[in-house]
Amino acid sequence: MLIRLIVPGERARVEDLNASLDTVLARHGVAEGIRADVRLIVEELASNAIDYGAAELPVGQHELSVNIAIQGDLLTLDFRDTGAPFDPLSADDPDLDADIDERPLGGLGLYLIRQLAEDIRYQRDGDDNRLTVTLRIPTPETAP
Amino acid sequence: MSLDIHVAPPGGPQQRVTLHGRLDTHSFARLDEALAPILSAPAPPQALVLDLGGLEYISSAGIRSIFKARKALAPHGGKLLVVNPQPQIQKVFDLVKAVPLGDIFASAAEADAYLDAMQRKVLRGEDDDEN
Repeated sequence: MLIRLIVPGERARVEDLNASLDTVLARHGVAEGIRADVRLIVEELASNAIDYGAAELPVGQHELSVNIAIQGDLLTLDFRDTGAPFDPLSADDPDLDADIDERPLGGLGLYLIRQLAEDIRYQRDGDDNRLTVTLRIPTPETAP
Repeated sequence: MSLDIHVAPPGGPQQRVTLHGRLDTHSFARLDEALAPILSAPAPPQALVLDLGGLEYISSAGIRSIFKARKALAPHGGKLLVVNPQPQIQKVFDLVKAVPLGDIFASAAEADAYLDAMQRKVLRGEDDDEN
């Protein structure tokens, strides 16, 4: 495991979370493009968790946690939140081919994650919503 | 880094807005606020040109702000053009088809040339009507 971070489920803390992740990933030589994907995925998952999962919890009881591990050319991001059970993967994809001015504004975040990720799974794990997102790290062509 | 928004002085049929930093769940509301007076003006611009050369990151919250601006301009026949999107921005735009490819320009000069051509076409159209 590369890093494990836990923050309160508050919008203001999501930026702290991403700043820390970015620093650690940069230190491990993860390319900027992948770091941007990680930032986007964490932001979208955290926004979803805060919007949908935290409503019925007492203030201060909602937590977000992120574990990141890298093995070979796969980066695995394990995102958990302590909110009410919510499976974001149950939502339908937005209709991207609808007229651009008629398109609904929702559902874009999760759609983006699905496009960026090699794999994404949801499970309810005890009191946590757990999303496991796998990203493929492009290897330089010069690598052995 | 947060978001810097520079709204060029209004004048002429196009309004230029330059963004630096990150357009995300923390900053999109500030862009919405900055664009509100432009979009709700009695005569909104024919073209809202978003210069994204200094924007390094966008998330779905930022995409929604851009969609909202486009929707507000459409009833007046206004267009939203994007200039110089950086790789992460272009990638996200491509994935969600956020901006039609024809409305994305590599430089401000290209967008200006496009707008000039559009303007000439409009003027020619009006002349034709009078004749």
